[in-house]
Amino acid sequence: MNFAGFLLTQCLNALSQASILFFIASGLTLIFGIMRIVNFAHGALFMLGAYAGYTAVRVTGSFTAALIFAPIVTGLVGIAFERVFLSRLYARGDGGAYLMVTFGLAVIMGEAIRLIWGAQALGVPTPEALRGAVLLLDQPFPRYRLFLIVIGATAAIAMWQFLERTRAGLLIRAVSQNAEMVHALGTNVEWVRTGVFGLGCAMAAIGGVLAAPLVTAFLGMSASVIIDAFVIVIIGGMGSFLGSIIGSLLVAFVQVFGAYYYPDLAMAIMYLLMLMILVVRPGGLLGKEE
Amino acid sequence: MRFAWTFAIAVVLACLVPLVSPNYMMTIIVEALIWGIFAMSLDLLVGYTRLYSFGHVAAYGLGAYTSALLLLHFNLPLPIAIILAVAISSLIAVPIAWVCTRTHGVSFAMLTLAFAQLGYAMLYRFKEFTGGSNGLAGIPRPAGPFGLEVFQGKIGYFYLVVFCLFGSYLLCRLLVNSPFGSVLAGIRENEAKTSALGYNTRAYKRAVVIASYGFGSLAGALYAPFAGFASPELFFWLISGKVLIMVIVGGAGTLIGPIIGGIFFIFLEHQLAEFTDLWPLIFGAIFIAFVMLAPQGIWGLVTSAASERRRSPGDAASESEDVTGASA
Repeated sequence: MNFAGFLLTQCLNALSQASILFFIASGLTLIFGIMRIVNFAHGALFMLGAYAGYTAVRVTGSFTAALIFAPIVTGLVGIAFERVFLSRLYARGDGGAYLMVTFGLAVIMGEAIRLIWGAQALGVPTPEALRGAVLLLDQPFPRYRLFLIVIGATAAIAMWQFLERTRAGLLIRAVSQNAEMVHALGTNVEWVRTGVFGLGCAMAAIGGVLAAPLVTAFLGMSASVIIDAFVIVIIGGMGSFLGSIIGSLLVAFVQVFGAYYYPDLAMAIMYLLMLMILVVRPGGLLGKEE
Repeated sequence: MRFAWTFAIAVVLACLVPLVSPNYMMTIIVEALIWGIFAMSLDLLVGYTRLYSFGHVAAYGLGAYTSALLLLHFNLPLPIAIILAVAISSLIAVPIAWVCTRTHGVSFAMLTLAFAQLGYAMLYRFKEFTGGSNGLAGIPRPAGPFGLEVFQGKIGYFYLVVFCLFGSYLLCRLLVNSPFGSVLAGIRENEAKTSALGYNTRAYKRAVVIASYGFGSLAGALYAPFAGFASPELFFWLISGKVLIMVIVGGAGTLIGPIIGGIFFIFLEHQLAEFTDLWPLIFGAIFIAFVMLAPQGIWGLVTSAASERRRSPGDAASESEDVTGASA
C-alpha cells in the first residue's frame, strides 16, 4: 500500500472531522466565555440542527437551504431558551444552576425530537455536486469530506475576523473580559449575551447539518458529540476561541488515528489526553484557571 | 433526642414494608432504596461542598463491577464481597480525587465526567474481564461458609439494603455534623477564606471526594448482585445526570432530601414508564422547574414549611431566607 497516500487521506479525514467538531466546540466556548454558562444542551441543539436540516432537504431538495434554515430555527430556539430560563438565573451567580437547567433542556429536546421525527435514524443524502471521490496520490477520497474541510476552514477564519475586526466582535470580547465595565459604558450587555447564545446555537446547528450526510440524523448523536465538544473546550481552554480550533484538531487527529491503530483504545486515548493536559494546565492550553 | 425518636420510627416503618407490600413490588422498592444511597453519596459533594460531579456514575459502576467480579471469581459471602468492593472502589477513588481536586467549578464537573468516560471505555478495552458490551451475567449471591442464605431471597436482600441505607445515612450525618463537615461548609461558602484560615482545603476536598465515591460504590455494589448482572449501562454518563437531578429535586445539602429524591424518582419512573413513554419529558420539566423555582428542593420546602408553622409569622420570613441561603 502507498503509505504517503494513506497518510494524506487519514490526515484529510481528521481535518474534515475537525471541521464538524469546530462548529459545535466554538459555539460552546463562545457561550462560556461571555456568560460563564456551560451549555449542556449544546449536543441536543446540534442534533436539532441535523433533524431540521433533514426536513429542509426533504421539503426543498436543496442542501444549501438546509444550511440556512437549520441554524435559524436552532438559533431561535436557543434565544427563546436564554430569554425564558437562563436570563432569570444570572442574578443567582451559581454556575451549577446553568449546568442543571441546560441538562434539563437536553433531556427535553431529546424527547421532543423523538416525538416529532420518530425513533429511527434519518438519512440525509449527500448533495449531488459533492458525491463521489477524488484520487489523491492514488487513494480515493470522498469529495464531501473535502467540502467539509473547506467550509470548516472558511468558518474558522470568518469567525476569527468577526471577533477581531468588527464592532460586534469587539463588544463580545469586551463582555467576556469585564461585563460590568461594558455595561457602565452604555452597552446593553443582555443583548450581547442573547445574541452570542443564539449564535453559538446556530453554529452547533450548522455542524449538525454537515454531519448528517455522514452519520445520518439519529437520537444518540447528541450524547456522543457533547462529550467530544466538552473535551475539546477543556483541552483548548474554556472561553478561548483559538483554543477551540486547536482542541478540535487535536481531538479529531486522536480519534481518526486512534481508531486506526488502537480501535479498542480510541476513546480512552482522548480522555487520557484531556486528563494529562488538565493536570499540567488546569485551565486548558489557552485558558486561564477559573 | 427528637432525632433519635424519628430515626427509630423510620427504621421500624422501613422494616414493616415487606409485610404490607406485595412481593412483585419488592424489586422496585429495593432498587429505589439503592438509588437513595447513591443520591445521598453525591449530596456530600454537591450539597455540602458545592463540588458538582458530572461523573458520579463512576462510583456506582466501580462498585457494581467490583462486587460482580468478586462474587463471580471467589466464593465470598455477600456482605464480605460488598465491603471488599467498597474498599477497593474507595482505593481506586484516591487517585481520581487527587486529580479532580486540583480544580473546582466547571473543570471539576468535566474532570469527573472524563474519569467516568474513561471507566466506560475501559469496560470495552478489557473485555476478558468485564464482558464488554455483554456485561457480566449470572452473578451469584453465595451463602459463604457462615451459611448466610437470607440474602438469597428478595426479602432478606431488602433488609440488607435497609441496613446499608440507614447505616450510611448515620455515618454521613456524623461526617457533616463533625468539625470536618464545618470545614466543608466553609469551602462551600468561600474556599479562599477557609484556606486563609489555615485549612488545607485541597486535603479536605480530596477526603470528601473519596468518601462520596465510597458511599456511591456501596450503592453499585448492592445493585449488581441484586440484579444478577452488570452491564456497561451501569457506567453510562446519563446516570450521572439522573442522580444529580435526584439530589437537586430532593434537596441538596440535607442528606434526607436526596434519599427521598432517589426513591421518589425511581417510583415515578416506574409508574410513568408503565403508561407513557413520555416520562423523560416530564422528568426534564420537573427538574427545570425545581432548579428555577425551588432550588432548595422537596425536603427544603418541607422543612421551611414546617418551621414556618412552628414560628410566629414575624420570624417566618427570616427563616425561609436561611433555608434558601444554606441549600442554594
